[in-house]
Amino acid sequence: MTIGLKTYRELCHGCGNCVVSCPVNALRSEEVAGGKGPSDDVDIIMIVEDGAIQIKNADLCGKCGTCVQSCPVDAITLEEL
Amino acid sequence: METTEIIDGKNITLERAGEEDRTLIFKNDMCAVCGLCETICPVSAIEANPTGAMIRTEQDMSKIDIDVNKCVLCGMCSSICPFQALDLQINGDSIRELQYPQLIKSAEIDNEECIHCKACETACPQDAIIITRELPSRAELITGEIDIDKDTCIYCGMCEEMCPVDAIDIEHQNPTSDNPVVATDINVSEDICVHCGICKRICPVDAIKQVCRICPYGEYEISVPEINGNSYIDPELCVNCTWCQEICPVDAAKVTKPFEGELTIEQDTCQGCETCVMVCPCNVLSFPKSAKSGLKAEKLHKDERFCIYCGACQKSCPVDAINVKRTQINYTPTKSKAWKKAFESLKQ
Repeated sequence: MTIGLKTYRELCHGCGNCVVSCPVNALRSEEVAGGKGPSDDVDIIMIVEDGAIQIKNADLCGKCGTCVQSCPVDAITLEEL
Repeated sequence: METTEIIDGKNITLERAGEEDRTLIFKNDMCAVCGLCETICPVSAIEANPTGAMIRTEQDMSKIDIDVNKCVLCGMCSSICPFQALDLQINGDSIRELQYPQLIKSAEIDNEECIHCKACETACPQDAIIITRELPSRAELITGEIDIDKDTCIYCGMCEEMCPVDAIDIEHQNPTSDNPVVATDINVSEDICVHCGICKRICPVDAIKQVCRICPYGEYEISVPEINGNSYIDPELCVNCTWCQEICPVDAAKVTKPFEGELTIEQDTCQGCETCVMVCPCNVLSFPKSAKSGLKAEKLHKDERFCIYCGACQKSCPVDAINVKRTQINYTPTKSKAWKKAFESLKQ
């Protein structure tokens, strides 16, 4: 079974909790580690685009579940793909 | 001979009938998703799902997958699992009870030494310890006399309100013309009274006589009764982390860990996501609080005394900030080269 990130854009409020809580994002971008979205084109797992979550690089995901726990509206999950 | 798979919720049972009936049982609740079973399986039949996802988020699936077409029911996964989540049974007997190669690990509490303080029960990260104790009644530890003169008493209720152990009971009532009193009776329970003297001191009409015998005669008058109790470690739940051994004030607990090794944390790489802290079945990892404002605390703290080097934290870390190195596997002597090789392969 393969477990991976799945998003529900229709539920997303675009708060960005997942973007800044993600430890992989934080390690790859100092701006994310500082608590905001990246202004350059650094490769991170997800960003908020047009007001909702967008996965950019799913292969970087370590499947730790931090983003899932940080999401207030269950718009991002780890589930069977 | 065909192996059949039975799924019961998230628990898995694999069965194969033959000269020997072999059954492999996986209990999902016991699994810490360390991945040792996946590593040791000689036929790559086991896949451990992502540790963080399985522990931190709600999942419908089992923590591990076992491929029924690949599994040969050899029992290596069952022998290596430090959490008793996997059990191979041959003709109904667990290989843990049979002369089968297995990890050497143990935990016991010497009931003669144990003072039943419950520190281990509180500290055990798996709630595997139960301490029962029979404490004496308070009356056995204190002696004195108390008497309330009911003719002098005005039933004001001050003693009843102030008594710290609720030993005084007044029968209050609303006065009526045929019985114009505010209370009908006052009683003190001598079994409950601890002879503290508060009632005597608060009484506005000196209706209470109370003497504590300990004060004039000293400590020697009363011998403290022996506290009887029992200690129990559930072998199914125990993960041999040594919390009980380390926290015991009288060295009554003795634990043997299955693995020895080294746990390394790259503090600069760690982003503090807390996955490892939640995943660790032995409560080895924590986020220290800052000692005072403006003082930066250590990012992720470890106490390796409690680590059994299962590797769940390393497997769960999304940024590879943790390394678990096993330097010794404690297993029972075996002549089988295949089993020796399998155990030794877990060293790094």
